[in-house]
Amino acid sequence: MTTQQEAAERPAAGSRAIPAFVGQVLSGVVLLVLLTLHMIAQHFIVPTGLRYYEDVIAWLRNPVVIAVEVTFLVFVTYHAITGVRAVLFDFGFSERTERRLTAVFWVVGIGTVVYGVALLAAILNAA
Amino acid sequence: MASTTVEPRRPSTAPAQRRGVVGWFDPRGRRLGGLAFIVNRLSGLGLVLYLYMHLMILSLLVQGPGAWDTFVDIALSPPVLVFDVVLLVGMLIHGLNGIRVGLVGLGLVASRQKALFIAAMVISAFVAFVGALRIFGGE
Repeated sequence: MTTQQEAAERPAAGSRAIPAFVGQVLSGVVLLVLLTLHMIAQHFIVPTGLRYYEDVIAWLRNPVVIAVEVTFLVFVTYHAITGVRAVLFDFGFSERTERRLTAVFWVVGIGTVVYGVALLAAILNAA
Repeated sequence: MASTTVEPRRPSTAPAQRRGVVGWFDPRGRRLGGLAFIVNRLSGLGLVLYLYMHLMILSLLVQGPGAWDTFVDIALSPPVLVFDVVLLVGMLIHGLNGIRVGLVGLGLVASRQKALFIAAMVISAFVAFVGALRIFGGE
């Protein structure tokens, strides 16, 4: 039997929201790994908890770090955008409005990733 | 003769589905699971705000060592470190409760969701406590 709680936390069978829900769960699992790595590498192994400028630049010169951070940015943005989208859809918009909002979220999501990658490039160029 | 067809009773829906976002705060029919639902969404929205704030702050690195190192000094002051603990709590609650949402949503261990939520909160509290000690420089 489906409880109220389950009904609230997952889309009904056959719902158009199922792909987004599965994507949210999968990106969440990836984020658990990447966020743990990010927190350990960026904060917990650093004696002061935050790197000063020279240490940040030295850290970012490592291509593996760049790859991990960009992957992290892509997944965290996807997870955040689909999460906010799910929250907004709780308002009960029409199908047409939902499609428009989805398009807006795609633009915001891609814009966020592009901004993040451009920021990384600008930081390294400025150093 | 009038039709005797009775429309099947629709399954009850959660407050969130009944009344949109306002339904999140509707206490009627809510138990621990309802609280978990609200906590997950509010912590998620908080983390989204933090994500964009974080990206804006990182742009200080483009301005060079003066701007960034000044920010680091401010960020390492005790009043600001409190926000680090709040952030850590938010990440733990959302991440661990998110595992529960994923498992329940995919139809796995649905009967254990209450125990999973309690376990997630206990682990969050423990890790947050250890993290707070670490953040404030304790051993």
